[in-house]
Amino acid sequence: MSQIITVGTSHHVAPLDFREKLVFSENQIIEAFDRLRADYHIRETVILSTCNRVELYAVTDRDDGTTALSDFLSSYRQIERQEFKKFAYNYQNLDAVLHLFRVATSLDSMVVGEPQILGQVKEAYDRSLSAEASGIVLNRLFAKAISVGKRIRTDTNIAIGAVSISYAAVELAKKIFESLENKTVAIIGAGEMSELTARHLVENGVSKVIVANRTYERSVKIAEKFNGIPVPLDDELGFLIDADIVVSSTNAPHYLIRRQPLAEIMRKRKHRHMFLIDIAVPRDIDPEVAKVENAFPYNIDDLEDVVASNLKERQREAATAERIVEEEAAKFGSQLQTFEVAPTIKGLHQHFQQVASKELDTCFNQAQLSPKQQKSVALMTQSIIKKLLHQPTQNLRQAVNDTDGDHVQYVRALQELFALDQAEHTDTERSD
Amino acid sequence: MDFLFLLTLLTYLAASILHVLFLVTGNHKVARSGYWVTTAGFVFHTSFIALRWLSQGHWYDKTTFFAWAIILIYLGLSRLTRLHTIGVFVVPIAFIAIFIAYTLPKGDTAVPVALQNYWLIAHVPIIFLAYAVFVAAFGFGLMYLIEEKRIRKKKYTLIYNLLPALGQSDELAHKCILVGVVLLTVGVFMGGLWMQFDPKSAPKWNDWKVVLTITTWFIYVSQLAIRQVFGWRGRKTAYSAIIGLCAILFTYIGVNLFLPSAHEFWGLGIK
Repeated sequence: MSQIITVGTSHHVAPLDFREKLVFSENQIIEAFDRLRADYHIRETVILSTCNRVELYAVTDRDDGTTALSDFLSSYRQIERQEFKKFAYNYQNLDAVLHLFRVATSLDSMVVGEPQILGQVKEAYDRSLSAEASGIVLNRLFAKAISVGKRIRTDTNIAIGAVSISYAAVELAKKIFESLENKTVAIIGAGEMSELTARHLVENGVSKVIVANRTYERSVKIAEKFNGIPVPLDDELGFLIDADIVVSSTNAPHYLIRRQPLAEIMRKRKHRHMFLIDIAVPRDIDPEVAKVENAFPYNIDDLEDVVASNLKERQREAATAERIVEEEAAKFGSQLQTFEVAPTIKGLHQHFQQVASKELDTCFNQAQLSPKQQKSVALMTQSIIKKLLHQPTQNLRQAVNDTDGDHVQYVRALQELFALDQAEHTDTERSD
Repeated sequence: MDFLFLLTLLTYLAASILHVLFLVTGNHKVARSGYWVTTAGFVFHTSFIALRWLSQGHWYDKTTFFAWAIILIYLGLSRLTRLHTIGVFVVPIAFIAIFIAYTLPKGDTAVPVALQNYWLIAHVPIIFLAYAVFVAAFGFGLMYLIEEKRIRKKKYTLIYNLLPALGQSDELAHKCILVGVVLLTVGVFMGGLWMQFDPKSAPKWNDWKVVLTITTWFIYVSQLAIRQVFGWRGRKTAYSAIIGLCAILFTYIGVNLFLPSAHEFWGLGIK
């Protein structure tokens, strides 16, 4: 009987220097498809290769499928068997299904709820689909995994709330200002974090960027990146009058923005709300600033608290998501047995039905039959179809449970002999 | 007709409960049903007022008109801003207003001759619409204060998530005060005209209610002026929205209870 097998590694179990040995480029994936089919008798393959995980999903009739796939991966990548064993994992059948569902729903990701993985799973699947490396089983499996992934994102709060400092800043800004459109951000000092924060703010609608630095040249240089206005950083901080959002990260050993001067600035800007983010350590903004009306200072710890509480919330939601995933995996597993033959059986029955109804139409048009006669002819036709198809259907179902993999040949033969359209069935599954 | 009134009362009660429930659970479906239940209540209420008008030739029942105006403004704001949270703060006020009307003894329903006057047709409803808009400003002010407190304390609770951004509450409170002031000005002006053209029946300038209404008007107008000139906003706008509403309530109820006034022909009928 054919099995679904997953062999791979991820950030949970392997360090980066092991993962990078395994990473597949696009060309290598296509090459691997051919080799797995030709040399290893693997019927269906999908390869998921991202910076956090490399996983091979396969369907094979071999009893030693797991070993074969491990052999392939370690020899292809020239990794010592010992090392490979240490850092790789494998799952079979229902466990493999559950694992893929967890991966696609980001439950297995470093940051639960992150959006990239679902796209990566989809991409990996599309690649196999277009290279014809996947077949009935993996097509259904991946289509289901993707739909479960989508469902988790909409039905649970797993993807809600910022989980990085810079996004947390954007979210907080949106709680102070209705929208960031037409707002001005001032970046004081330089640094990767403040630039990243400014970038997110701009992406979310902030229209004007002021860059202040101790040296004017440096202001100009950073301002170029944002199409911003460079200003010199003096003690007056006059540019703050225009700033709705302030991101400060200087190396200054003392407070740069203090209560009294800021109160004066707020008066000049007619007390329009100001959101101040202090990323610097030691701090740039005196905590006393919180007492200035309509000024809302946040330091790095505050932002980290936001991130931590969002992560906690996601963890809570993850419990719900795990339950859904387990249910879906179990549901999928129960259909797994007849999976490979079910569409063919259905197709065969449909084919017979189509032929019969067409012939019945012609017959009824030509022969003058009473409604009663028509009915009994139709009934008889149905009965013939049923009887004719009974034995082959039974045998096909039986063949799935045998270990020799005959059913695959049967399926292929039936499809070719009756010109059944396989694609139709996989497509309907994908769209759900 | 009494049946319609009771129905309105109960529907507003249900709507109030749903809105509060929304704040507790954060479930937006509850908020939406709250909105629709309020709409249903508004339909009952409108038919009640219309029927009363037809049968008695007037709708001078101030408390229920106040509630009607609050709900009208709420429904409009809800549609415009898509903010369900404002309902949490104003729908219960409408319910309380109509509940007071319900518990009051039914007085003489005929209109005093003195009030069968064209000026009044505009004077009363416009002032009550102004009050209803001020109630909304009060709601936004409360929302601002609650949200600001969460932000200052860095407590990211469910309420923090449900309430709108500070800028939005502030802006909406400000706009409501602006609209309210315009309506109140027109309403008071109508009253002034009535005084001018019909000095016999109209209350005088030194009538307590007139004095207090003009005081209220000053509170709101000075808030607008200071905001314009010095940029007082945020908490200060919120506070003035609250103080303003207190002044309105005092004008509305206080006068009828404690002070002599010629404005007590109908409505509360307590005196």
